[in-house]
Amino acid sequence: MFKKFSTEEVSAQNQVKASVQRKIRQSIADEYPGLEQVLEDLIPKKSPLIVAKCQNHLNLVVVNNVPLFFNIRDGPYMPTLRLLHQYPDIMKKLQVDRGAIRFVLSGANIMCPGLTSPGGSLDDEVGAETPVAIMAEGKQHALAIGFTKMSAKEIRDINKGIGVDNMHYLNDGLWKSGYIVALATSLSFAAY
Amino acid sequence: MAGKPQPVRVLYCAVCSLPAEYCEFGPDFEKCKPWLIQNAPDLYPDLVKEANAKETDKVANQLQSTGISSGGGDGAASSAPKEEVKRLPGGKIKKKEKQEVTIEKVTRNKRKSITTVKGLELFGVKLSDASKKLGKKFATGASVVKGPTEKDQIDVQGDIAYDIVEFITDTWPDVPEAAIFFIEDGRKVPAA
Ligand SMILES: [Zn+2]
Repeated sequence: MFKKFSTEEVSAQNQVKASVQRKIRQSIADEYPGLEQVLEDLIPKKSPLIVAKCQNHLNLVVVNNVPLFFNIRDGPYMPTLRLLHQYPDIMKKLQVDRGAIRFVLSGANIMCPGLTSPGGSLDDEVGAETPVAIMAEGKQHALAIGFTKMSAKEIRDINKGIGVDNMHYLNDGLWKSGYIVALATSLSFAAY
Repeated sequence: MAGKPQPVRVLYCAVCSLPAEYCEFGPDFEKCKPWLIQNAPDLYPDLVKEANAKETDKVANQLQSTGISSGGGDGAASSAPKEEVKRLPGGKIKKKEKQEVTIEKVTRNKRKSITTVKGLELFGVKLSDASKKLGKKFATGASVVKGPTEKDQIDVQGDIAYDIVEFITDTWPDVPEAAIFFIEDGRKVPAA
């Protein structure tokens, strides 16, 4: 998703109306109850919230020049990795084995065997079409944000093919442009 | 669960921006290594060992090649001579730099041109002063400009190459004519 992402792909970025801001905030609060107590710090009601619309129907939620969440069309909001690193427990986690790390970091989707091998691990509560944190064997921090194509149980049973789509990973365009987006946003016209 | 969840502090590599534990999978692990040894020794214990081994090798080599171990730190002894070459006391003349003045005519539009003069500072000439004198002499605009290689140059409006050499040697007798060159079609041509 973000492999070649750059600020050039931001086709429009606008400060959203208060009603839209409330809606986004509520969606995020519903999806990430673990953030309840820090939500006001992350997305202060009074700070402007900017939505950067990018190619492929991707939206970035930017507050105080920091991209915090993204979603596709009206899909669920997913945190950026920098945010997830700060609050690692807000998402369910799946773990890939060490051998899969370099593939994930080059943007590949996550194959079932990388999750079912001894170095991997699955959370059985994870259903299909769910945002998840992708952790790695022997590492403390997440290396990617994924969106499951099948449930954890199916990943275990089927055990082949793509189990999780790789949405955002360390050193992809969004990771690298974190600050650039921030800069571009601060320079953009604060439209309505 | 009492109180706000505190954000986790992640150690990000200052070289490649990834969490330090992922440097080994990053774009250029070699470049990260010195930073990691300093800042994340516990994540990469092998690196530190490796570095220590190299360091002892180096010291051993130094001792062998010089044959002395003048008590007082090898580090200081080896770095001192380097400094000397770079800059003489007073900083007026850099020893390594070839002392020469180059003059180049750059065509701006069809008819307008700029003559750039580089290297006067190598002869102890103050550039701001020189630029004033050149402007006065040729009744034109002259300014000190930051050159591409962090060295300053003087830009003089107009094509004054024809008698600038005489002016330079007259005004600053320290600059020998033999050290003045024209750049013509990318080639260096002695003015003398
Ligand atoms: Zn690094």
